[in-house]
Parts: sequence; C-alpha cells; structure tokens
Amino acid sequence: METTGIAARAEGLWKRYGSGEAQVTALAGVDVALRSAEFTAVMGPSGSGKSTLMHCLAGLDTVSAGEVFIGSTRVTGLRDAGLTALRRDQIGFVFQQFNLMPTLSAQENILLPLTIAGRKPDMAWFDTIVDTLGLRDRLSHKPTELSGGQQQRVACARALAGRPAVVFADEPTGNLDSRSGAEVLRFLREAVDAHRQTIVMVTHDAGAASYADRVVFLKDGQIISELAAPTADAVHDQLKSLETSGDGR
Amino acid sequence: MLRASLRGLLDRKLRLTLAVIAIVLGVGFFSGALVLSDSLGARFKAMFASVSTNVAVQVTARTDPAQPSQKPPSMTQAELDRVAAVDGVGAVSPDVTSAFVVPYDTQTGKPLPGGGPPQLGIGIGAEGDPMGVLSLAEGRWPTGAGEVALSRHTAAQAHAAVGRQVKVFLPRLQRPQMFTVVGVAAYAGGRDSLGGETVVLLPMAQAQEAFYGRTGLYDGVSLTADAGVSDEALRDRVSAVLPATFEAKTGKQSSADQAAAVSDSISGLTKWVLTPFAGVALLVGIFLIFNTFNVLVTQRARELAMMRALGASRGQVTWSVLVEALIVGVVGGTLGLGLGALIGGGGSWVLGNLGDAKLPGSGITVGLDTVVYSYAIGILVTVVAALLPALRASRVPPLAAMREIAVTDRPLRLRAAVGVVVGLGAAALIVLGLRAQDDGLSMVAAGCGVAFLAAIVLGPLVTRPVGRAVGLLVGWGVAGSLGVRNAIRNPRRTAVTASALMIGVMLVTAASVVATSFKESVVRALDTTLRAELTAAIGFQQPDGRIGISSAAVARIRQLPEVQEVVAMHLAVAPRLNGETAASIGVGAIDNVPGAQRTMGMKRVSGEVRALNAGELVADENTAKARNWKLGDTVRIALPGAERPYRLVGTVEASPLWANFLVVPMPAVADFAGPLIPQAMIDVRDGADVAATQAKVEEILVDFPSVTVEDKSSTTRQVTQVVDIAVLIITVLLSLAMVIALLGILNTLLLSIIERTRELGMLRAIGLGRGAVVRMIGTEAVLMSAFGGLLGVGVGLGIGVALAKALVYQDAITGVWVPWWQLVAAVVVAAVAGVFAAIVPAVRAARLNVLRAIAYE
Ligand SMILES: Nc1ncnc2c1ncn2[C@@H]1O[C@H](COP(=O)(O)OP(=O)(O)O)[C@@H](O)[C@H]1O
Ligand SMILES: [Mg+2]
Repeated sequence: METTGIAARAEGLWKRYGSGEAQVTALAGVDVALRSAEFTAVMGPSGSGKSTLMHCLAGLDTVSAGEVFIGSTRVTGLRDAGLTALRRDQIGFVFQQFNLMPTLSAQENILLPLTIAGRKPDMAWFDTIVDTLGLRDRLSHKPTELSGGQQQRVACARALAGRPAVVFADEPTGNLDSRSGAEVLRFLREAVDAHRQTIVMVTHDAGAASYADRVVFLKDGQIISELAAPTADAVHDQLKSLETSGDGR
Repeated sequence: MLRASLRGLLDRKLRLTLAVIAIVLGVGFFSGALVLSDSLGARFKAMFASVSTNVAVQVTARTDPAQPSQKPPSMTQAELDRVAAVDGVGAVSPDVTSAFVVPYDTQTGKPLPGGGPPQLGIGIGAEGDPMGVLSLAEGRWPTGAGEVALSRHTAAQAHAAVGRQVKVFLPRLQRPQMFTVVGVAAYAGGRDSLGGETVVLLPMAQAQEAFYGRTGLYDGVSLTADAGVSDEALRDRVSAVLPATFEAKTGKQSSADQAAAVSDSISGLTKWVLTPFAGVALLVGIFLIFNTFNVLVTQRARELAMMRALGASRGQVTWSVLVEALIVGVVGGTLGLGLGALIGGGGSWVLGNLGDAKLPGSGITVGLDTVVYSYAIGILVTVVAALLPALRASRVPPLAAMREIAVTDRPLRLRAAVGVVVGLGAAALIVLGLRAQDDGLSMVAAGCGVAFLAAIVLGPLVTRPVGRAVGLLVGWGVAGSLGVRNAIRNPRRTAVTASALMIGVMLVTAASVVATSFKESVVRALDTTLRAELTAAIGFQQPDGRIGISSAAVARIRQLPEVQEVVAMHLAVAPRLNGETAASIGVGAIDNVPGAQRTMGMKRVSGEVRALNAGELVADENTAKARNWKLGDTVRIALPGAERPYRLVGTVEASPLWANFLVVPMPAVADFAGPLIPQAMIDVRDGADVAATQAKVEEILVDFPSVTVEDKSSTTRQVTQVVDIAVLIITVLLSLAMVIALLGILNTLLLSIIERTRELGMLRAIGLGRGAVVRMIGTEAVLMSAFGGLLGVGVGLGIGVALAKALVYQDAITGVWVPWWQLVAAVVVAAVAGVFAAIVPAVRAARLNVLRAIAYE
C-alpha cells in the first residue's frame, strides 16, 4: 500500500485550544511517523497531549498548524465528508468505553463500519478475527449481555474488520480488569504479528505499553523520547525520569 | 465546566419548553372559551344597559325556564292602565314588539337576510319613545296606517329614506305589506343600531293589529319613576298590581338579566365547542409531560442517587421533581391564560363585529374564575403527568451514584395482562351495547372509552412488531435500520410518544367514520325514499313557524300544473313530553299525510297512519319504543301555545328521514310558535321540467324571507356539506392536538439524542456521515409518527364502526361506511409530519462535535 512503509505521519503538528490568556497548547510541534505493521504505544503524564495527538492523527480533530497524513492521504485540509470517508475506510477505533451500539448484536457491531461503507465483508477475515478473539458463541448477543472484556474484544474486532490502514486505541484497557486487559492486548499484538496491522495505542499503563514494538513519550505536547522493544520495567523507568525532569522545570 | 452546566441548563430548559407549550395550548383553548364568553357578555351588558338607562322598572312576562319557547302571555289594556296608575310612575312606555318583521331591500326587492341579529317590529306612540332610547334623526314618528319609521341601520340596509316606499314582511299576516317611510330614528348616543338588529317602527295600534291581531294587547311595559321614588320602591308597588303571569324588575336588573341570558347561550356554545378540544390538547399534553419528566429522571439518575446518598429522603427526591412540574404548570398556566385572553379577545372582536352585529365596547374581560381555572388546570395536569416519574425518581437507589446501574426494563407481562383484561372489558361493553340495540349507545360509547385505555396500555407491547413492520417500509439502508432499532429499543417511551399522536388521529378517524356513515345513509335515503324533486325550506334558523312559507303560498304551489303533490310540514322544537323536556325530539304537523307516505318514505309500522284528527298522534317506532308508548296511550305534549293530551294512533318506520319525530294534527299548529311552514316537499309530475317548475315555485316564494327552493341534488349537497364542514372543523381543531403530539416526538427525539450523545459520537467516529445521521433520526421520527397514526386509525376505526353500528340499531343511520382513503391519508400525513418533527433534532445530532460527544459526561 505505502512504499515508504509509513502508515501515518505528522509533521510539525501544533494544536492549541482556546485563545488569549486561556489558550492551551496541547501539541507543540510534533513530528512522528508510524511504521506499517508496527504496534506503537503513546505514553506520557496526564495532560501531555496523548489523546489530542491521536485525535489529530485520526482526523477527529482539526490541527492548528502542521500536516497529518494517513498513508498517502493528506488528512489536514479534508472537509467533514472526506474525513468521514477516511475514518470509515482507513481507520479503526477502540475507545476506552462506550464503544458499541446497544441496539446491535455483537456481529452487527463488528460489521458496522463495513455496513456503513456499503462494503462486502471478507468473511474469511471476519472468521479469523472472531475465532482469535473467542467471540464465536457471543455473536448474536447484545452488548448489554456481554462482559466488559467481551465488549472491548468486540470493539477490537470491529476496528480490524475492515482491515484499516491504522487502528487507534485510546486507553483500550483502561476500564478492564488485568486478565481481560491482557486478552485484548495479546490480540492487538497478534494482529500486528500475524496480519501486519498497524496499531497506535494511548496508555498510561507500563504493562500495556510493553506489548508494543515502540513507545513514544510525550510531555507538554512534545515528543521527548522513544523506546524500542520496551519492557515494562524500562517503560517504568522512563516515566519516572519524565516526572523528575518535570519537577525540575 | 461552567459551560457544560450552562449548556445542560439550556438543554433542560428546551425540554421543559416543549412540555410548557402543551400546557399553554390546552389552557389557552380552555381559558379562551371563558374569556370569549365573558368579553362578549360584557359587551352585551353594555348594549342592554344603554337601552335601559332611563328605565326605572321593566314589566315583562314571566318565562318558564324549563320551556324557553313558550309563547309569552300578553298584557291587556286594563292591566296596563292599572300599572300606569300606580303612585310614583312617571313616563309609561308600553312594549309592543315582534321578531321576524323583515324589511325588504328597496333596490333588489329581496328580504334582508335573517339568521343573525334579530329583525324587530316595534309599536311606537305618536310622541315617540318616552324612555329616550330611540330619537328621531329625520322626518317624524309614524301615526297613520301604512306609515313606518326605520332605525338608521335598517334604512341603510334596505336602501330606504324618508318619503320612500318600503316592503315589510309581517309574520302574523304571513305576507309582506308596503309602507311609507316617514321617519328615521337613531339610538341615544347616535348609534345606528345596538347590535346589528333591524327595527321597523309602526304606530302603536297598527303594530298591535299586525303582531297580535287586535289592539289593546302589550308584551309588557317600561316605566320611569317620579322624583324621589327609588327604582326598588316603584318595582315593589308595581308588582303588587301585576297579574301573576307578569313580573317587575328594576331597569338595572332587567338589562343584566337580558345580557346574562344572551351571553349564557353564547358561552354555552363556545364552551361546548372549545372545551372538548382543550381537553384533548391537555390529554395529549399529559403524555408529552409524562415522557419529558420520565426521561429527565432517567438522565438525572446519578444526581438523584447522589442526593439520596447524601441523606435526602425519598419524599424529598419526589418533591424535587414535583416542584419542577409545579413550575412548568405555573408557567404554562400563565402563558396559557395569555393565549386564552388573545383567543377570547380576538373571538369577541370577530363575533362582535360579524356582519352587522356592531356590539358596543371592546376589550378583553378576564374573570377571576378564568384565572383560577387556568392555573388549576395547568398545575394539575402537569403535576399529575409528573407524578409517576417523580415516584420513579424516589426509587433510584443511592448506589446508582457510585456505579453505573443498568436500568433493566421491567417485563411487559403485567402490562400485557392488564391490557388484555381492559381490552376484553371494552369488547364486552361494546358487544353488549350493540346487543342491547336501543339503549346501547351509551354502553357502546363507554366501551369505546375503555378501548382507548386498552390501546394505551397495550401500546408498548405492539411497538416492536409494528415498528419492525413499518421499518420494512421506511428503514432504508444502515441509517434507516439504525433508526428503526433506536425507535423500538425503548418501547415504553416510543409508545407513550406515539399515543399522544394516536389520540388525535383516533378521534378524527372515529368522527369521520360516523360522519361518513351518516352522510351516506342520508344521501341514500334521500336518493331512494324521497320522491319529491324540490324542497322549499328556510336556511339554518330555528324551524318553529315564526319564519317560513304561508299556507296560502303552499296552496298556490299545489295549483301549479307541473306539481303532482306538496307536503308541507309545520314544525316545533324542544317540546315537553309528559312533563319532561325532550330537546332531541321534533314535533311536526303535516298537511298531507298520504302525500308524505307516497313521497317521503313515511311507512306505517302499526296502528293508523293518515290525516290526523285533533288530539291524535303518530310517532316513529323508536321514539315510541324508547318511551314505552303503546297504541292508545295518551302523551301530554307541551308546545309553545299550550300543553294538551294526544292519543298515539300509529307508528312509522324509523329512518334517517323519520327519526325522533312526532306527528301531530293540523289544529295543533295553533299552539306552535308561529303559523309559517319551515319546510315543504314538492313532487314534480313525471315528464315535467323540474328546473322550470323550480323557477315557478321560486316566483311564488320570492317574498318569503329566508326561504330557498332546492332541487334534490342541492338538498343532498347541503346535507353532505354540513357533514363535511363538521368533519373539517373537528379535524382542524384536532390538528392542534396533533401539533402538540408532534412536539412530543420532537421532544422525545431531542431527549434521546442527549441520552445517546456518546453513541452518536462513536458512530460518527467510525464513519457514519452527517447525512446518514439525519436519515437515522428521520427514520426514528417517521416510525414513531407512523406508529401513532396506525394505532390511531386502528383504534379510531374500531370505535367509529362500533358507534356507527349502535346508531344503525337506532335507525339514525342505515349502514356503516368507512372512508378508507381518508384513513390511509391520515396515516401518511402522520408519517410525513414526523419528518418535520425530526428536523430540529436531526440537525442538532448532525452538528454534534464528534470529539466532545465521545468525551461527553
Ligand atoms: N477541548 C479542549 N479544550 C481545551 N483544552 C483542551 C481540550 N482538550 C484537551 N485540552 C487540553 O489539552 C491538553 C492535552 O490534553 P489531552 O490530549 O487530553 O491529554 P492526555 O490525553 O495526554 O491526558 C490538556 O492540557 C487539556 O487540558
Ligand atoms: Mg487522554
């Protein structure tokens, strides 16, 4: 799909909220490239701009300056209809909570982006996802009949069903117990390893970040360090040092 | 944070605004009716007061309130002289008055149209009006035979002036006479008329001859008092010398009584028309408010739970919701009162200036009772509607503050059981009512009311299946199917919302089924049983013999070579039967009973049906049966002139043309309010030209005020028009209820959108376009409105058919006809109207900021 091997990138990304005295700079010149078939974790203290970065990359929010690309598509500059189509066709989402349509069954939820797009689902791929996530016998259930972990797995399946260029996950394990969280993370890992899926995950859990190929650390709207092949301990140390350097300012 | 809470407040305000609107419309309609009659009443009071400014005491015949159409007694010259001789009496103004004295337009030669303000003839002395109500503007007072004076308004209407000839219809003479206008009179204060009435002033003696057939008779008398004598004192002195059939009142009392009588009859009308619709509007409003508060409570569950966790009692929580309802009720009552003042004031202005009815004064009269009622209704309706939601609020467990407590739907089983029981009760009442045949109508009507309750109880149960079925029609694509699912995911809410719409559609459907059946029955009856090609009849005026055709004119029509047969019917209204008022029964004398049998479908069932002798009676079979009269029984019938016994000699078949009708012999006409014939059927000889005959008949009847000659098709058209107009009025008034119901849909959608903000954000995030969001909400709206429309048509059809069937058993109609296309149209209109209700919510949903929606708390 992309010759460079870059699934999404941001160049000189600035995001400011409000104006005048109340102005908040959420992103202050971020350059980041997300390689295809790589699992990237975004970490940083609360308020450092993790969610904002993800929202800007995913075309959910406008940027103040800079450019965002998904594959070869220039996201900045697209209008609502273009953004909607982009999200529908190229991007998958997993949110922390409130992920599913309560009126639809698990299967309908998984296939919803494809239904919206009017695309025919790839049933072999669907089966693969469903079996990997162990959702086979839950397909006809409504979200209210599923546990939190199952709901989040359905959300993961939905994010992957259309084979999007990038999957964005904002604290997907934030609301789950550790066992359910681990299941979701193992699945995301497998999607990258076995199916060359590109995933970006915002988290503040060092354990969750250790599933990623690479961790990007944000502070005050800037990327201040990266960690390849992270372990939980390494991530922990890095976060510690971020906090101390914060105190020094 | 502040912005969020401000927005929340605004949102909540909007939600409550819609609830308030329902109250405003309902209370507005209701108080409008009261304000209208009060305002008109005040203006009538002003009018009557201006007539009796100088009157100290007024003497009038006592009227029997139970029998308003009773012919009033007259006062003799001797009785009048006795009154005039009472110590303290100043000026004496004898009252010689007749209604239906109709002047003719000198330009067109046609009688001035009646049916509005009275057309009066008044006797006046040579010195004019001693009370000074009327004074000469031009010329002189009439003194000799063949002379009249006209009020200025009358002169203008008739295009007459002093010195000109004017034709005047005199009901007792049953024909018009030519008079010379010798004067034009105006009211005190320079008014042309008091309330649009026409007045022809005849010399006293001529007036008595013309109105009563001889001189020396009076309707009553107005008196002034000598200096130093109070009105009350004079009244008491005069009372002492009056015959028992007369009473004396002070001028003030008399004008107040007259005004009250007129405004009572008007307010009776406005109340009967406006109040039912106010009731419907409020009933619909209850549903809307109930839904609003229910959703409000659901959305505030956490807040309420926190209050409970902090130690608030259940009662306090209930009360906090009820206070909000109270505020809505007070605001709605206030605005509704304002709307009512506008409606009433506007109505008073329109009615007071309608045609020539120029009532004095203007302005809006809002009585204290109106204010009290408005607030009472506004508050009561709101609080009653909010009661269940408020109780539900008190049941939110404190635990809900700590964690999400899934609100599980209570199972619908209990509801199903209750609904089925109520539904069976309704069915039983209707079936038994129909079995009972004659007396079943009220039972059937009660059954219909219960059926309506059953429909409301069962609504949520059929929401899902009906919603899915309608969804197959309207739920296109992803957006559509999401909309369908949203509509049926909360069956209670959807059903309550749809029920509000159901009420209006149901009533319109039932009304149009009954009306169509009535229309078809009458049209068919006219078609098949009425052989008379022409009908000469008065328009929409009281058919009591004081206006209509003379017997002489009927005789001339009979002599036309083209005419085969004429059946003339003298009529009297609201008789008393065996001492009881029977407002729905008509009494008539038919001058040609065999003719009625030949040309009007009058069919003998029992006894003898023929030209009746004095003291004989024929009734339609239903009336006889309902009142348990046997042949040979004696029935006392009180007519305006006298109460007499009549012996039942025969019964006729009940049909739309012969329903609730008693035939009395021709001599009884002397007891009617007047001798004129309101209705004559004319059978044209076979082969004769109907149109030419009609022209000849019209020629004969040209001088009779308010009489028109119609052929069969225009008679039919008149009937159908009346029914169509009635249905139209009902539909227009009920569309108010439907507008409120649509507001309810709008409300429910807005509330649902707020509830589903995050869901909407998620859908937008994963690629649902703005257009699709609009379609989704639109589908939900259409589904709800179509559901309401279907329910309404379904229940209304059942109710309408049941009522029509009951009427068939009463022979008021002959069959049941269903206006299918109208019903289909009703559902389609309801569904389409749903689209309008969806506009605001859909736009709001489409504009939703995706990020904020996802992060929405
Ligand atoms: N809609 C907004 N309006 C104003 N400020 C915002 C808004 N969203 C985020 N911010 C601010 O931007 C900064 C970054 O926020 P965010 O990206 O949510 O941080 P993180 O996800 O790392 O906790 C914070 O200071 C936050 O207060
Ligand atoms: Mg965040």
